[in-house]
Amino acid sequence: MHATVRSVIEVSGEGPADVTILDTEASPEHLSRGTAMHADAMLVVVEPYFKSLETGRRMAALGTDLGLPRVALVANKMRDERDEAAVREFAEQHGLEVAGTIPFDEAMPAAERAGVSPLDHDPGAPSVAAIGELARSFVR
Amino acid sequence: MKLVVAGKGGSGKTSISGTLARLLARSGRRVLAIDADSNPNLSLTLGIPADRFNSVPTLPRDLLQRTPDGARLSKSLDEIRSSHSLDGPDGVSLLVMAHPQHAGTG
Repeated sequence: MHATVRSVIEVSGEGPADVTILDTEASPEHLSRGTAMHADAMLVVVEPYFKSLETGRRMAALGTDLGLPRVALVANKMRDERDEAAVREFAEQHGLEVAGTIPFDEAMPAAERAGVSPLDHDPGAPSVAAIGELARSFVR
Repeated sequence: MKLVVAGKGGSGKTSISGTLARLLARSGRRVLAIDADSNPNLSLTLGIPADRFNSVPTLPRDLLQRTPDGARLSKSLDEIRSSHSLDGPDGVSLLVMAHPQHAGTG
């Protein structure tokens, strides 16, 4: 299956308006099998605590090893300035880009509980606005 | 652009992937979302109801043909889209690699 995904990604996303988004298994094992090797960029979603950042760092390293042109963290569930500082410090320490910061937002788990998409649940939610900002700044 | 979204379970990876896909589609992009998780739930964060998701055919294994020059797809991407993708809100196309009961076979 990994080889099929790899090939689909290889032939997709070629037109100027085309965007392919691969939501992938979190496991480093999956990434190391090269599923993502034809991607232009990787976003690694992390939460502002050490274990999550450390896992994210390892995933980002795998993306870099695959030769992906751009690998960056997205900091999710950010509650306050302390969280911002923790992520920023970690990223600087390890030479990682932080592509976006998404606030902790009750709208996300609420959408999940309701079984609907975040965008349909609450289009004006701060988390949705932050993802919109990420779309504008990161996706070319 | 081809973008991989990775992250630990529970990190919010799939909510972000789905919302990103919808917002990009709204801004005029032609978005193909691929759920390659063994516990696929991208459809939900894209806004595709569960009953529609359960009826989507996953990609067949013989889609990839081995040739002397390496592996290649036996169909074009447009063919794959029309036979195997689900159309979601805002025009996002979703490809699902495996349903949960098939997880671990590929």
